[in-house]
Amino acid sequence: MELIRVEEVSFAYLPGKLVLDRVTLRFDHRSTAIIGQNGAGKTTLVKLMKGLLKPFDGEILIGDLSVKKVTAASLAKRIGLVFQNPNDQIFKGNVLEEVMFGLLNIGVEREEARVRAIRALEMVELEGKRDMNPHDLSLSQKKLVSIAAVVAMDPEIIIFDEPTIAQDHAGKERIKEIIRYLDEKGKMVMTIIHDMDFVAECFERTVVMNRGRVLLDGPTREVFSREEVLKEAYLELPTVAQLSKRLGLSETFLTPKEFIAHLEGRIKG
Amino acid sequence: MKKVMVEHLKYRYPGTEKLALDDVSFEVEEGELIGIVGRNLSGKSTLAQAIVGLVPHFYRGAYGGKVIVDGIEVLHSTVSDISRKAGIVFQNPFTQVTGSKLTVYEEVAFGLENLGVPRSEMMERIDEALTLLGIYDFRHANPFDLSGGQMQRMAIASIIAMRPEVIILDEPTSQLDPQGTEEVFLAVQRLSREGMTVLLIEHKLEKVARYADKVLWLDEGKVMAYDSPSKVFSRDDLEEHGLAAPIYTQICKALKLKSPDGETYPVTLEGAYEVLKRWN
Amino acid sequence: MKSISLYVDRQSFLHRIDPISKIYYIVAAILVPILYPSLTVAFAVMVISLILLFLGKVIRQTLSVYGFVFLVLITVLIIQTLFYPGNETPVYRIGQVVLYREGFFYALTISFRVINIVTSFLILVFTTRSADLVESLVRKGLSPRFGYVIASVFQIVPEMMSAMGRITDAQRSRGMETEGKLSVRMKAFLPLIGPVVLSSLLNVKERALALEVRGFNAKGKKTFLNEEKNFLAPTAVQWSLLAVILIAIIWRIIQ
Repeated sequence: MELIRVEEVSFAYLPGKLVLDRVTLRFDHRSTAIIGQNGAGKTTLVKLMKGLLKPFDGEILIGDLSVKKVTAASLAKRIGLVFQNPNDQIFKGNVLEEVMFGLLNIGVEREEARVRAIRALEMVELEGKRDMNPHDLSLSQKKLVSIAAVVAMDPEIIIFDEPTIAQDHAGKERIKEIIRYLDEKGKMVMTIIHDMDFVAECFERTVVMNRGRVLLDGPTREVFSREEVLKEAYLELPTVAQLSKRLGLSETFLTPKEFIAHLEGRIKG
Repeated sequence: MKKVMVEHLKYRYPGTEKLALDDVSFEVEEGELIGIVGRNLSGKSTLAQAIVGLVPHFYRGAYGGKVIVDGIEVLHSTVSDISRKAGIVFQNPFTQVTGSKLTVYEEVAFGLENLGVPRSEMMERIDEALTLLGIYDFRHANPFDLSGGQMQRMAIASIIAMRPEVIILDEPTSQLDPQGTEEVFLAVQRLSREGMTVLLIEHKLEKVARYADKVLWLDEGKVMAYDSPSKVFSRDDLEEHGLAAPIYTQICKALKLKSPDGETYPVTLEGAYEVLKRWN
Repeated sequence: MKSISLYVDRQSFLHRIDPISKIYYIVAAILVPILYPSLTVAFAVMVISLILLFLGKVIRQTLSVYGFVFLVLITVLIIQTLFYPGNETPVYRIGQVVLYREGFFYALTISFRVINIVTSFLILVFTTRSADLVESLVRKGLSPRFGYVIASVFQIVPEMMSAMGRITDAQRSRGMETEGKLSVRMKAFLPLIGPVVLSSLLNVKERALALEVRGFNAKGKKTFLNEEKNFLAPTAVQWSLLAVILIAIIWRIIQ
């Protein structure tokens, strides 16, 4: 089923300088990573889907709703976006209120909002901190609060903008778990990201953007088997794929686990 | 010759109770590239700022022990004096642009103007720094019109032009795209080859393993290890302290394939290749 | 991201006058009509300033500023002509409404002064690179810290605006309405202030650290990358302006 349809969309911030050039993409429930170097048009594409910008040419449909015809705020029920820097959104004096903010905005009753916010905080394992001031939390925890705030609104589509920036190993693992959990719950998870190892581990489908166009689009494994095209977009292979290539393996491995299983067979065999 | 000597350094930020640095000691030889690793809040950035004197001179707080950079003791010098000995590049390329200069060339001159470097020497140094970092062609551009990678190289050039003995980079690529990251790492490598002493804080351990001579591993303000990358990253207690070994090491470890030395596991692509190729 | 300099790059003698002389001119243009409170003098100074703007080839760029200034001044003119406390001599009557001579001239004096102040500043702002201005002031002995603040405002304000945009987007993404009625917009303002203040504070701290390690507080004499520019007869211009101010003062005292 198609959740998002992007049809021939073009966009420019300054006249004559196209940031997106007739982009057409369809998104279903598969978890999807959008990769490409800065300036490739990833953030602009996401902002258009969220209704934060309006396309000057083409059409974007979220389900059957055209983003041109509604405000960003009214799209919030259907499509959530977790911003890169949690400090850009946190403003309430306690964690629970912060997570409830979006729910109240979309017209959920206070009691109901409270219940849903607590449930979202349980998911990110911060239920115990609900009365704390969000700014007394660590950066990783603030990130989790900002994720809970979006998940609580229960949108069908959740987009993450660079979720792993400024996160250490434990923080990344936590976000990986959350993405997998949301995926299993049937949410469509999409992310803009520079960390190729993270893409290889978490996302079924990968879209490569370059200079306002879609350069490659397909199952993640297929995308990462085409190094020559990735180079064109100044992208590198995930670490495991680099190793399999160095070893001259014809197969593209994405995770250490797969790779270990493959070689274990050989070593024992 | 020893460029950095840290002896029993203890430090606590004002208004906090926990030590940010707890009895840290290590020494860095001239020309070495040291990777500093550890999870968030382990004290990496605090240590970096202690070497350039921002700790304790900017933050105040409780301080014990000694940091000596190229013969001068940090506690008894000003940040400006130390800036001739050690320079630092921060994570965020935007916030370290002065914002008062209109071109890249003038931006790099900022530190030199402050230190009173004569005009003719200034221009020579700026040209050299811009060339070394590969941004000479952008010298007339407005600093805010650069890409993240170019901006970060400009920040490095601004420090290099001040001709410090030691340069510290605090996660210089964490906010950059893959191409920007590559540009910055190549620049760091070039500096190191020119004989500069470099301290690099970095989360991507594959990169640390590839470029660093030694790794300083911090956790909860304490030194967990200070040794070669292969020794540090082969340890069994990394995960327990919030670190994941380089993926090459994880793979070889799972397959129980050690490096030819029989003690450590490979930490780089080439190292892993050497060990794995016969199974191919 | 661009800086918000109002500087217009033209070839004119005004562009070659040094920034300090232009500051002298501002002082003269404001002080002289105050010391010599006659409409004729105020008018004369105003005409001189406008001619200068014209010779600086920047008069077109200043029109939008004047548009705003005139809007305010016309209001002043109407209010004073009708309600100035010293109003005695009616000059015109429209039904119940009476226009008075005293109020009209009082408003005219104010208007000329305002235009004088605005125009003399416009001469400085539109024909001087902000960096040149700051550098000249620092050479003259202005504290480099203060100079930095002035110079950086031009670049850092646009940066704050973009932070504001980012934060607005973050809150709109969580369903906050920002479009529509005034009450909706007012309500939407609060969730922006906290993050904007926080992000500015964090930026200020990070920038302070970055300046510090580049010797911002170094003692001893600073040097300058740019050579002191060769401006058009700075001493002559400055002395003549000073003389004009002095004459006005002396005239005022002996009056």
